[in-house]
Amino acid sequence: MKSKIIQDLENKSLIIKTNLLNLATKESIHIGGDLSSADIMTVLWQYKIKYNIEDPKDENRDRFILSKGHASALLNFEQSMLGCFKEELVYSEYAKDGGMFAMHACDLKNPYVEVSTGSLGHGLPIACGIAMGLKLKQNKKNYVYVLMGDGEQSEGSVWEAAMNAVKYKLGNLVVFIDNNNLEADGSINDITSLGDIGNKYKAFGWNVININGNDIESIVNAVDNLPKSDSEIPTVVVAHTIKGCGVTFMENNVRWHAGKISQEQYDMAISSLQNKGGANNE
Amino acid sequence: MNDKIFLRDVVGNYMLDIGSKDEKIVVVNADLMGTCRNKNFVEKNPNRSFNVGIAEQNMISFSAGLASEGFKPYAFTMAPFMSMRACEQVRTDVAYGNKNVKLISVYSGLSGGISGPTHWAIEDCGIMCSIPNMIVVEPSDKIEAEKLLNISTKIEKPMYFRITTESVVSIYNSNTKFELGKANIPVNGDDGAIICSGVTVQYAIEASKIIKEKTRKNFKVIDMHTIKPIDESAIIEAAKTKHIIVAQDHNVIGGLGSMVASVIAKNNLDVDFKILGIPDTYGVIGHAGYLYNKYGYDTEGIIKASLEMLLK
Repeated sequence: MKSKIIQDLENKSLIIKTNLLNLATKESIHIGGDLSSADIMTVLWQYKIKYNIEDPKDENRDRFILSKGHASALLNFEQSMLGCFKEELVYSEYAKDGGMFAMHACDLKNPYVEVSTGSLGHGLPIACGIAMGLKLKQNKKNYVYVLMGDGEQSEGSVWEAAMNAVKYKLGNLVVFIDNNNLEADGSINDITSLGDIGNKYKAFGWNVININGNDIESIVNAVDNLPKSDSEIPTVVVAHTIKGCGVTFMENNVRWHAGKISQEQYDMAISSLQNKGGANNE
Repeated sequence: MNDKIFLRDVVGNYMLDIGSKDEKIVVVNADLMGTCRNKNFVEKNPNRSFNVGIAEQNMISFSAGLASEGFKPYAFTMAPFMSMRACEQVRTDVAYGNKNVKLISVYSGLSGGISGPTHWAIEDCGIMCSIPNMIVVEPSDKIEAEKLLNISTKIEKPMYFRITTESVVSIYNSNTKFELGKANIPVNGDDGAIICSGVTVQYAIEASKIIKEKTRKNFKVIDMHTIKPIDESAIIEAAKTKHIIVAQDHNVIGGLGSMVASVIAKNNLDVDFKILGIPDTYGVIGHAGYLYNKYGYDTEGIIKASLEMLLK
């Protein structure tokens, strides 16, 4: 039987996914990749990350960098669920003229965004600088979390940073890769021949964990058993996920990389989500 | 005149001075520590020095991350790699976030000479000036370089240093006042103005002496060490001479000349105006001195352009 913590996180993830679909009826969002990483993000933001909503610059916070900056809507909903701002604000300010939230994570008006992202391959190198900064300050308690996409692995700067993180012994760095096997133009392996991501990081000297990234229990298990933040080897969690997870007509369908949905599609999506409670609970 | 000075030596060495006064200052290299002459800082402060390897993009993002944690990174590489290889990291990770990262670029303009066009930076000023939040400076002598570095430690904003690898001479003394965004005027005059920065300042000073000997005309020399934000009032004042020549080690498009031209246009200034620089070409191979002469922004070229303008 599932623990209360797991059940609670599953419920929260379901609320986040529902919110995403609701927003998608109003604005075009990167719904496919939002849904594939919603379980990871929910475990991080609603369970794992040490964060002070009263002070987004609190020295003792864990740092989170959304390297796949196009999952901005997902980040906004996670932050609102944590209490950073009201959920209504996401609906009223997302992609609006003079609004607080852009389609890619932006710190101009949202102080809870650690660094602005959107151009891929930037998050990990910045995170290395932040992780190094924490080490220089003798902060041995906090982690630096990064969420990257799998298509993003094509950016050369990712691998520049992958070397850097090992050289500077950034054991406080934990990277999640949302390995949903699809990028904007099609399947990852058709486009990039990415192959086994975990083995690539392993060859660079990283600690590699493979999990089912749409199973809350697996994600919780991974974050509960991370190496200590004062250890010396960076960790990558290769999270095997399904793009569009939970919504049958979106799952593994490149059409839903980004887009808006009709009311009818919303109703279908919600019933699909409720029937499944997530794709992996069959 | 006086001894030749190499500004990359000055800047690299001076890091030790500013670093000793501020523990938050860190140096980040991308395998060009030797070329950028900051070895003494690195040896003295190994814990505050990083070398990310031949990975300029990573160097800039890594620096942005360090700045995000309150450190004051000085990132060093050649100007073409800083402004072009790492351009998007400079723009997105440093400037967009308004991060306190100082970008120290050697090999500005054609000073890379016989290394060839891969190692020239004739576009960097145009690129950097068009990036919001970015301050762009180009020192002309040792004192100015050190003063600008000192100023940089007090400004929590991104800043791009354009450093020539050609030799320069001593122009200022330690009593000279320096202010960011305020041009220095090493030579005064009412008959014309030569606006310049970096390596060309010494040529402009020499040219103004020779012009005076030949024509008895006094050409003012304006050392525009801060290219952005540019000193508008110095340009408005210069326009009163009715003759403005800009001498720059940069493509004629996008450099100091373009910045001056926009001030002239904005204020509708009535003045004869000419930009000396690289005529929008990758041109030919040669030592810097040969190239400066060929494109007409060394002493000889500045004299020729000034006399032509006076005779018009």
